[in-house]
Amino acid sequence: MTGSKQNLVEKILYHVEKPGRYVGGEHNQIVKDWKTVSTKWCLIFPDIYDIGQTNLGLSMLYQILNADENILAERSFAPWVDMEGELRKNEIGLFSLESKKPLYDFDILGFTLPYESIYTNVLNILDLANIPMLSSQRTESDPLVIGGGQACFNPEPIADFFDAFVIGEGEEVILEISAAYTVWKQARLSRNDLLTALTEIDGVYVPSLYSVNYNPDGTIGDVTPTSPNVPEKVTKRIVSVLPSHPTKFLVPNVEIVHDRMSVEIMRGCTRGCRFCHAGMVNRPVRQRDVSDIIPVIQEAVDATGYDEVGLLSLSSSDHTQILDLTQQVYDCFHDQKLAFSLPSLRIESFSLDLMDELKELKPGGGFTLAPEAATERMRAVINKPLDDDDFYNTVTKIFEKGWRSLKLYYMIGLPTETMEDVEAILEAGIRVQQIGKRLIGKSVKIHLGIATLIPKPHTPFQWLQVERPEPIQEKLDFLKTGTRKAGIKMSYNIPDSTLLESWLSRGDRRLNRVILHAWQNGAKFDAWGERDNLQIWRNAFSEADIDPDFYSYRQRDLEEILPWDHIDIGVNKQFLKRDYNWSLQGRTRIDCRETCFMCGILDTFGNDRPSDGFGYWGCP
Amino acid sequence: MNDTPIRYRMKYSKTGNLRFIGHLDTQVMFERALRRTRLPLRYTQGFNKRIRLNLASALPLGFISRAEMLDFWLNDPVGEQIILQMLENALPAEIHVLEVNQTDNSLPSLQGSLVSSEYQITLPANIAGKLFEQKLDQLLAQPEVSVTRRNKIIDYKPLILEYEFRKDSSDNSVVYFKLSSSPAGNARPDDILELLGIDPADCVIERTKLNFSTVEK
Repeated sequence: MTGSKQNLVEKILYHVEKPGRYVGGEHNQIVKDWKTVSTKWCLIFPDIYDIGQTNLGLSMLYQILNADENILAERSFAPWVDMEGELRKNEIGLFSLESKKPLYDFDILGFTLPYESIYTNVLNILDLANIPMLSSQRTESDPLVIGGGQACFNPEPIADFFDAFVIGEGEEVILEISAAYTVWKQARLSRNDLLTALTEIDGVYVPSLYSVNYNPDGTIGDVTPTSPNVPEKVTKRIVSVLPSHPTKFLVPNVEIVHDRMSVEIMRGCTRGCRFCHAGMVNRPVRQRDVSDIIPVIQEAVDATGYDEVGLLSLSSSDHTQILDLTQQVYDCFHDQKLAFSLPSLRIESFSLDLMDELKELKPGGGFTLAPEAATERMRAVINKPLDDDDFYNTVTKIFEKGWRSLKLYYMIGLPTETMEDVEAILEAGIRVQQIGKRLIGKSVKIHLGIATLIPKPHTPFQWLQVERPEPIQEKLDFLKTGTRKAGIKMSYNIPDSTLLESWLSRGDRRLNRVILHAWQNGAKFDAWGERDNLQIWRNAFSEADIDPDFYSYRQRDLEEILPWDHIDIGVNKQFLKRDYNWSLQGRTRIDCRETCFMCGILDTFGNDRPSDGFGYWGCP
Repeated sequence: MNDTPIRYRMKYSKTGNLRFIGHLDTQVMFERALRRTRLPLRYTQGFNKRIRLNLASALPLGFISRAEMLDFWLNDPVGEQIILQMLENALPAEIHVLEVNQTDNSLPSLQGSLVSSEYQITLPANIAGKLFEQKLDQLLAQPEVSVTRRNKIIDYKPLILEYEFRKDSSDNSVVYFKLSSSPAGNARPDDILELLGIDPADCVIERTKLNFSTVEK
C-alpha cells in the first residue's frame, strides 16, 4: 500500500467499530521481507477477525507455510460492513494484516471454508480486492485462488469462483501446491499449465477441468474430465500420522470469539452417527500421544500467555489415553492457573471422571450432553444408541457432583420422526430438570439446544430431503411453548438459515449463478442470521431460473449421480447406502473400532497406515 | 511465597497500530504478556483468580502515549531491570517499557490519585496554526464551553488547566493541553478539537504526561 493510502486507512480506523481487527501486530505474528521469498500466500478466513482468528486450521497452515524460508504467509479477513463501506468509499483495496499489501499482490490466496454460509463473503472479498471473481476471468497476472476446509467436500456450488480446491487435510498438500506454483512461475507458462500441474497433486481438485452434463429432469448425467490426464475422481488427502502440533499461536490484541488456545488431541471419529458430516469425512481416527500433548500445551502457554486451553476432538472420551491425559493435565498445570475445556464428551459416567480431573481447573461452567434424539428408537435411526437408564443415571451423577447447569442438544427433522419423538425431547428436558431440582434445588438451569437436520453430502443421510418448514415450525412451536411453561431455556436454528445451508451444502454447479446473483443483490454475512437474507436468496434463485426446492425438498434416488460423487472421501457409496437402509430399519452399527464395516478407508489409505507406535488408527 | 505482595510500577509508551487497541483489550494484553514472562505473579483472591494489575487511566482509542502507567504485584522480589527486560521482550513491538520501579504498598492506587493529563496534538498541515489559535482563544473566552458526552452536558472551561501553541521541527502546528483527569471532571482533547470543527482522526494526539496527587518517582 502506498504511503498516502496507508494514511487514509489510519484515518478510516478512527471511524469504524473495533479497529483492532484490521491492524495486525499481534504477538507471534510473522512478518517477512517480500524480497527474500519466492512464493507469497495470503490465508483468508472469509468472516470477521473476531470469528476467524481462532481457527486452528488457519493457525496450523500459517505456521507450516511460514516455517519454509522461501514462503511467506500473511492473513486477511472479511471487513465488517462499516469498514467495507469506508474501503469502498475511499477506493482502498482489501489488504493483508501483516504487511498491509493489497491482496492482488500475493501469488496465492488460500480461503478457509469451514461452513457454507460464508460463500457470499468470498465473493465480496474478491470484489473488494479487485480480483476477477470468476476463475475463467483470471489471467496469469492474477493470484491463484484456492479453497479448502470442511465445506469443500462438496465444492460444486462455488466451483466457478475457485481455481482449485484442497480436498481433505492441508498440512502436506499446501507445501506441494506452493512448490508447483513456484516451478510454474519460474517457467513463465500459461495459467492453464498451472491448473493442469495442480491436478497431479493428490487431493487437489481443479473444477474448471471437468464438465457437468444434466439429465432432462435436472439431475446430473455425468461429470467428465475435459483433459486426458485429469483424474475422474479426486480422493481426499490425509496425513497418515498427525504432524507435530503448532505452538506459537498468534495472540489477538482485541477480544475475539473463543479467545483461548486450542490443542487438537484427536482427529476423526469411529462412532458413525449417521447425521454427522465431520464423522464421515474425517476418517480415519488418529490421535496424539499424551506424552506429545503435555509439552505442546506447555510450549503454547509459554508462547502465548493464554490462561484457557481447549482440548479439541470430535469425541474426547474416545481417546484411548483420555483419563491419563486429564490426570496429567491436572498434575502439570494446576499450579499455573490454567482453565481447560474438554468438549464432545460421551454420555457415560466415565465422562464425569474426566471432568472431575479438570473441574478444579475450571470452576463454574456447565455440563453439556448431546443425546441428539430423545427416544431409543430414534437414536437407533441416527446410530447414536443410548439407553434411557444410562442417560438419566449420567444426568443424576452430574448433579450429584455439583454441576448446576446442564445443556442438552437435540435434533428435529430426523427421518421417520413423529410428533411422539419431539414430545419426548420436552419430556426428557422436564425429567432432567426434576432430577436437578431434587439434587441441586430451584437454581438448577436446563438449556435445550434444538437443531434441524440438514442431510449433508457424504453421510448416510445424503439422499434425504430436508423437512419442510411447516412441520418444522410446528415442532419448534411445540417445544418453545413447553419449555417456556417449564422454565427451561431453549435455543434453536431458525428455519431460514437451515434452508439456506441446505441449498449451499447440497447444491451442484448451477448454484454458482445463484450465489453470484445473491451477492450482487447484497447477500453477505449469511452466517450471522441477523440480516434478512432469505428473500435475497429466493430472488437470486428466480433470477437464475432455478427451483431451490430441487436441492432442499427432494428425496434423491439412491442410483442418482450426486453433485459430489466425484469427490472421494475414502468412504464408499455402497457403505453409505447400506447404512442408510439400516437406518430406516432402525438397525445400529457399533463403534467401528470393534468391528470393521469396510467403509472403504482402509482400501483407500491402508497402505499409508503406520505399522507401529501410537499413530495407530482406530481401525481394527 | 511471600505473604506481602511486592508492588511494581511501570511506565510505558504505546504507539503505532496499537493506538487502535482499546483500554480493556490493553489490560488483557498486559495480563498475557505478564504470563509469558513467567514472573512470580500475584493473583487476586477469590473465585475467579486474575493477575493483580491496575492501569492508571484509559487511553482513548486512537491516541498514542509516552506516559502510561500501570501497577502490578509479584509474590517475590525481582530486580527492576530484569523485569523491564522481560516485559520488553514479551510485549508487542509498539509498546515500550520505559521504567519499572518497586513501589510502596501503602501508596494510593494510580487511578485514585490521577489529577491531570498532558497532551500534545499535532494538527494536520492544511490547518493554519494561527487561525486555530484564534478560534481556540475565542472558544475559551466564552463563559461556558459545553461538551455533550453520553447525553450529559459537561462544561469544559474549568477542566482545561493549561494550553499553549508551538511549532514542531517540521514546522507543523502543535497544541499542548493540560486537562483535568480527576473523578470530578475528565476532559478529552479530541472533544475540544471537534468543538473547533477539526476531525481528531486528522491529528496525531499523544499523551505526554500523567500527573498524580502524590509524589511520583
